[in-house]
Amino acid sequence: MEEKIHIDWLTVILYIIIVIFGAMNIYSANSSVENAFLFDFSREYGKQFIWIGISAAIVFLILLTDFKFFNFSSYGIYAIVIGMLMVLLATGSFERGAQAWFRIGSFKLQPSEFAKYATALALAKFLGGFDVKFEGKKNILICFGIIFLPMALTLLQNDTGSALVFASFILVLYREGLSGWWLILGVYLALIFVLTILLPSLYIIGTLLILAVGFIYFFRKQKQLIVLGIVVFAASSFFILSLDFVFAKLLQPHQQQRILVTLNQDVDQYYTKKAKEFSIFKVEKKHVDKKNASKRDYSYNVRQSKISIGAGRWWGNGFNNGTQTKAKLVPEQHTDFIFCTIGEEYGFVGSTAFLLVYLLMIGRIFYLAERQKNIFSRVFGYSTGSIIFFHFFINIGMALGVLPVIGIPLPFMSYGGSSLISFSMLLFTFLKLDANRVNEISRLY
Amino acid sequence: MEKSGRLYVFIGVLVLVGVIFTVRLFFLQIVDTSNYYKAQSYGSNEIVIHPSRGTIVDRNGKLMVFNDAIYDLMVVPEKAKNFDKAYLCRELGIDTAEFNKRLKKASRYNIKEPAVIYKSLSKELYTRMQEILYQFPAFYIETKIDRRYNINGAAHLLGYMGEVSEKQLKEDKYYRPGDIKGISGIEKAYEIYLRGKKGRKVVLVDKFSKQQGSFAGGKFDSLPIPGQNIVSAIDMDLQQFGEELLKNKIGSIVAIEPATGEVLAIVNSPNYDPNLLVGQQRDKNFNSLLLDPRKPLFNRALKSPYPPGSTFKTVQALIGLNEGVLHSYTKYPCRGGYHMGSITVGCHPHASPLELERSIAQSCNAYYCNVYRSIIDNPKYSSVQDGYTQWTKYLNSFSLGMKTGIDLPEESKGIVKQSQYFEKIFGKNWRSSNVISLSIGQGEVGLTPLQMANVSATIANRGFYYTPHVVRSIGDNNFVPAEFKVKHRTMVAPEFFDTVVAGMAKVTQPGGTAWRCSIEGIDICGKTGTAQNPHGDHHSLFIAFAPRDNPKIAICVVVENGGAGAAYAAPIACLMIERYLATDKTQPSKKPDMLKRMLEANLAGAAIYQLPGKDPAPAAGTKDTTAKKKPAPAALPVKKK
Repeated sequence: MEEKIHIDWLTVILYIIIVIFGAMNIYSANSSVENAFLFDFSREYGKQFIWIGISAAIVFLILLTDFKFFNFSSYGIYAIVIGMLMVLLATGSFERGAQAWFRIGSFKLQPSEFAKYATALALAKFLGGFDVKFEGKKNILICFGIIFLPMALTLLQNDTGSALVFASFILVLYREGLSGWWLILGVYLALIFVLTILLPSLYIIGTLLILAVGFIYFFRKQKQLIVLGIVVFAASSFFILSLDFVFAKLLQPHQQQRILVTLNQDVDQYYTKKAKEFSIFKVEKKHVDKKNASKRDYSYNVRQSKISIGAGRWWGNGFNNGTQTKAKLVPEQHTDFIFCTIGEEYGFVGSTAFLLVYLLMIGRIFYLAERQKNIFSRVFGYSTGSIIFFHFFINIGMALGVLPVIGIPLPFMSYGGSSLISFSMLLFTFLKLDANRVNEISRLY
Repeated sequence: MEKSGRLYVFIGVLVLVGVIFTVRLFFLQIVDTSNYYKAQSYGSNEIVIHPSRGTIVDRNGKLMVFNDAIYDLMVVPEKAKNFDKAYLCRELGIDTAEFNKRLKKASRYNIKEPAVIYKSLSKELYTRMQEILYQFPAFYIETKIDRRYNINGAAHLLGYMGEVSEKQLKEDKYYRPGDIKGISGIEKAYEIYLRGKKGRKVVLVDKFSKQQGSFAGGKFDSLPIPGQNIVSAIDMDLQQFGEELLKNKIGSIVAIEPATGEVLAIVNSPNYDPNLLVGQQRDKNFNSLLLDPRKPLFNRALKSPYPPGSTFKTVQALIGLNEGVLHSYTKYPCRGGYHMGSITVGCHPHASPLELERSIAQSCNAYYCNVYRSIIDNPKYSSVQDGYTQWTKYLNSFSLGMKTGIDLPEESKGIVKQSQYFEKIFGKNWRSSNVISLSIGQGEVGLTPLQMANVSATIANRGFYYTPHVVRSIGDNNFVPAEFKVKHRTMVAPEFFDTVVAGMAKVTQPGGTAWRCSIEGIDICGKTGTAQNPHGDHHSLFIAFAPRDNPKIAICVVVENGGAGAAYAAPIACLMIERYLATDKTQPSKKPDMLKRMLEANLAGAAIYQLPGKDPAPAAGTKDTTAKKKPAPAALPVKKK
């Protein structure tokens, strides 16, 4: 009996819509007003068609591959990608501040894009192993190890954005049993971080003190909770008071600027303001780098992005008619800031429709992941969904000015071969695994 | 599987993110319109296309004023940041201080609005700027229109162009800083017709200010509408001839076509070449003209009231006739002047007594002292004051003491005093003897050359005039403003004019004051005037029209310090009439000697002494001291020829 391909056509259709819409927007953002030939391969919009073609070919190959191949070769693929990252670190040249690309002729390959795919496979393979669960120190350490190795290598390439994406695997681990408290802790720390930048440290500590006293009073009969309250308060206070140090020492100047810009802080004034405040570790002058800060306009990208999106109003200017887009006012508009084109040319109505389609696709992936019968497929599915979601969240949040500028692409939309191919591989590998689930069932019964 | 419920946490997070992004989008795109307006101003650059300004031709279709393109370097002050100022200054050839000054001036009105920073780039500079301007996104070149003239005179008439003032910018939103508009003359009066309508092209510019094409598919673009061409009433040949005749003299000529009120020529001397007030040197030239003690910018024909002298007798005769106190047969004796108590108004020797026509031809002062007294002392009025007031009403009906309404800016209404004025000087019950000098056009009366020419036209028409106008028609459809066709009647009934016309005809006949100026074959009706002038030699005046029947031209000539009316004004007027009436302009004058004398006469030196900063001319020493005193009204001893 011949095996049918029970592929999830809804996801495929959403994928095709997004890819084609992406190509349209790249064309709009990248072509000049007059005489723009669609298949001009010297331009990015022309090249994107090549990437779409290559992606289609790879998707076809994946669908023809036996599903067992992915399970079988997971660690191999992981090893190869880790190897590539190491070679890149040793030999790669810096481009745009990062050591992230292999140059092959005129084409550039970004292994960190494929590292996500490999990590998803490796994590799925490990957790899908016989009698392995996300429990016990050893297993948990191995899981984090699988994630941290490529993340650290990407970070060493100075590609912070791509490295951050590996944080999305926390969501997968959450699904596999990681306590929700860790996520809450993460959100809590982020909140404290933002508040500390916005408000004087002592105000926040004072507020926390009141909350802590109330908490302890309320649970005065439970010793454990009293201890918890005291520990959380003490740790938070320490975090707050040392944040200046963390901020100034661990983050690079441009990262500091981007965060401050997102929070509407005047870069120059921020440091003078913070220097007057009480803090455990005083910010040293050499970290501030004021001169460099005032020279570059770090708010430019975001400001232009907001203007572009705002120019769209209800219905937008229509395809290829965005004036801001055509004027090329937003840097990197065909890659990381592709959402500006959507905002300007399709307006509020088109943008929300796009968000809906995109979130529907991600939701569908999570839904498909949950229905998997074997853990390998499920972990891989959640990884796929989480990675795409993380990119989506950061990328659009950045374009809308609610998150700091982190240069990562919008999957299936932003220009770039490595990105489109690796995300297509990720999605269709999962769809292949999902299709196989149906085959498995049909064989069983 | 106990963790499968966590799918809903994932779905919940997706929904939450979707809602946050949608709200944010709503805020950016719908609530906060500032982004939208920033986008409007940011990605596009509006390029103004200046329309070509209307040309001006003379009544015979000869081109007087036309256009040439000039290139201005414009700056958008708001964007003029972080550029290599030293480099740009070096290329423009101005120092940084000057550049900063101009930039500051450009920013004064509105920093978002483009303004001129360097006017009229030379051809070389224009080419150079085109090469380097891509490095200066805040700067661009705008093509504007500058005027060129086919005539080196008529400057007061045509007017000049200049940059709009800040006040005008606020009043009329059409203009932007650095635009040029008509400041005087026809250029000012007909600005709204001549300027046309600016067009604009909105081009998309990228972040390097590189043009990316038409904005929004040219939706906001508009073509400039060229200004309307104007047909002037001026006869360019006559205008230039008049300027030749007045060369080296100070004075003014106004010629009007009586049947239409069309102004044929307005000549002022000193004059200036209108070509001085265009191009790079404009401001420099303007300043030197402004500081020139001869006041070449001053439009004497419209703004300078002269005592009309004996030319005024024509008006006095008409009023007298209409009031019934004078008849064509009325005779008054003249014994070397008019004597009344201590007052004597002198007169030159002539036969006596004279009737009305010959009193005009020989210009008897005593005759008009009697006429004037009979007008204002008329018993039908309760007092001299009422009689005087009635007399001023007559003058007003000739548009004397009020503006003629000519279609040019800055006209003076001349001097005609109210009776109250004399009360302050002579007390409440002043008498006709106090104002006796008015009878011969001296004292408290001043008429502009335009007003005198209009009087001449009114007499030529036997009792009416059209508002003088220098423009014949506007635009391709030959639009003529309605006010040009309104007939203004004087208070003097038409039947009284013939006697005065007959008297004026005798002026150029043997025995008349200007008979030596007569030109064979032309019936010139005129009246000489020799106006006493406290500053120097008498002003030479002449009003005239010709031919006697169906007059084609009415004229007034004033030559300052020219002496007797027959000395300069009358010959010039007659030569002008001859020239205008001649069908062939190349035909030599029938009075070549007179023409030669007029062209060669140099009277400018006689006037120099009254100018500040110059050494008194020798003529000043010969003046009697009384002449320099301020004239005591009415009591002025008058000597007339």
